[in-house]
Amino acid sequence: MLEARNLYSYYGKSVVLQDLNFDLEPGSMLAVLGRNGVGKTTLLRTIMGLTDRTKGDLFFSGEPLGDRRTDERAMMGIGYVPQGREVVPRFTVAENLKMGTFARKDGKRAIPDKVFDLFPILKEFSERRGGDLSGGQQQQLAIGRALAMNPKMLLLDEPTEGIQPNIVQEIEEVIQTLNVEHGLTIVLVEQNIDFARRACDRFLVMDKGQVVVSGRGEDLNDEIANKHLTF
Amino acid sequence: MDSAIFFNQLFAGLSTASILLMIAAGLAIIYGSMGVINLAHGEFVMLGAYATWALQTFFGLGMLISLPLVFVAIGAVGWLIEKGIVSRLYNRPLDTILATWGVGIVLQQAITLGIGSQSRFVQRPEIFDGNLFFGDLVISNYRLFILGVSLGMLLVTYLLLTRTEFGTKLRAVIQNREISECYGIRAERVYGLTFAYGAALAGIAGALVTPLISTTPTMGTTLVVDAFLVVIVGGVGSLVGTALASGLIGEASAMLSMIFNDTTGRILLLVAIILLIRFRPTGLIPQTVRG
Repeated sequence: MLEARNLYSYYGKSVVLQDLNFDLEPGSMLAVLGRNGVGKTTLLRTIMGLTDRTKGDLFFSGEPLGDRRTDERAMMGIGYVPQGREVVPRFTVAENLKMGTFARKDGKRAIPDKVFDLFPILKEFSERRGGDLSGGQQQQLAIGRALAMNPKMLLLDEPTEGIQPNIVQEIEEVIQTLNVEHGLTIVLVEQNIDFARRACDRFLVMDKGQVVVSGRGEDLNDEIANKHLTF
Repeated sequence: MDSAIFFNQLFAGLSTASILLMIAAGLAIIYGSMGVINLAHGEFVMLGAYATWALQTFFGLGMLISLPLVFVAIGAVGWLIEKGIVSRLYNRPLDTILATWGVGIVLQQAITLGIGSQSRFVQRPEIFDGNLFFGDLVISNYRLFILGVSLGMLLVTYLLLTRTEFGTKLRAVIQNREISECYGIRAERVYGLTFAYGAALAGIAGALVTPLISTTPTMGTTLVVDAFLVVIVGGVGSLVGTALASGLIGEASAMLSMIFNDTTGRILLLVAIILLIRFRPTGLIPQTVRG
């Protein structure tokens, strides 16, 4: 589904990702781990085409992404839930969700039922402004917005960061449901090692823009955690 | 003072205001959405006027038929200028001011060289000849028509921004360009069309104003200065503010010119605006940003 070969990514002249290689099987979940500032977010931004320049190859569903614009990548079925959620503040919840449907290839503008099944609160709050929601509600909206486009793959950047604990669990459950029951391919940038171990098929640990360890989810042991993830 | 003169002047102010409204709405939309201060905007008005003149002189087309053609033609000119020049300068706001100023000069000189600097005149549509009389109040049918078109365009613009998918996409891009692109919106296309729409509004204003003032290559300059004042007074990003400010400035200049004279009226108007901006720097109805 997603394949990186000797992938480099740049902001201006500085290289932020170096020589990345990984594969992501359809329907699987990949956890991207690492300390702050090692390039996890940049990896997701590179997949969306939001960095200045890339080198090497990146394929999505067998098609090269290299020269595609960000909006074209979205139309190919990549749903992005960025760090900080980036809900459109002066749009209502309904408008934010509708915005998600702009990336649908079939041109439909109806919000899929599963969005409201997973996040009933979005129906209840549909006329509130995105900027007036709490952090947890905004995160649910941001994930709902990505699901509204019926994505083939979902990129989640620290979806539980800075969110009240009762909603953290809810969001984690939704992510697992999407992956296991809906068969959605997911790339998850995460700080919570326990959740990554529980939920993910594979993981990769990054440091200084490179992959330093990778493996199957259940192999994510304390030794790796202590060496690369603690401060 | 004679009340008839007063009311006639009041109505004249209203029709000035309605022309201003269309020019200023285009300016405000372009500035509000892409942060570009378009100094070539007056030349779009001028091109609209010349296009109407050319359609009438060479093709015998009346103004009513010409209006949609002018809208499309000046929109296309705006689109080309956005694609060719403005789109390359989005991260350099100061440079866009210089570039659009340059474009304005080029357009002015092109018309001067190609058509000449003498005044051209356009016939107003015959069905709007004549006046309505209410006692001493004389209302020209044509000025009434301008008022109607202007309010119509304001309504169309409002609906375009709030009720259409294009409007939603534009508002999304204004608030967060990057995330908009992550949801399949082509920001560059949205910008191009928005610039084109703003230019087309100016073109329509130019077409409508031709029967009232003489058409010359420099006609846009005076009009656009007032339009800039409207945008400043109204507050950026608010159509209601733009409409309100057009009315205020149109009426204020009409009234002050009547009570004093054109020059003194102008000075007083500018002083009033400076005072207003001193106490309300963001304009009458500023955009309230949340979240």
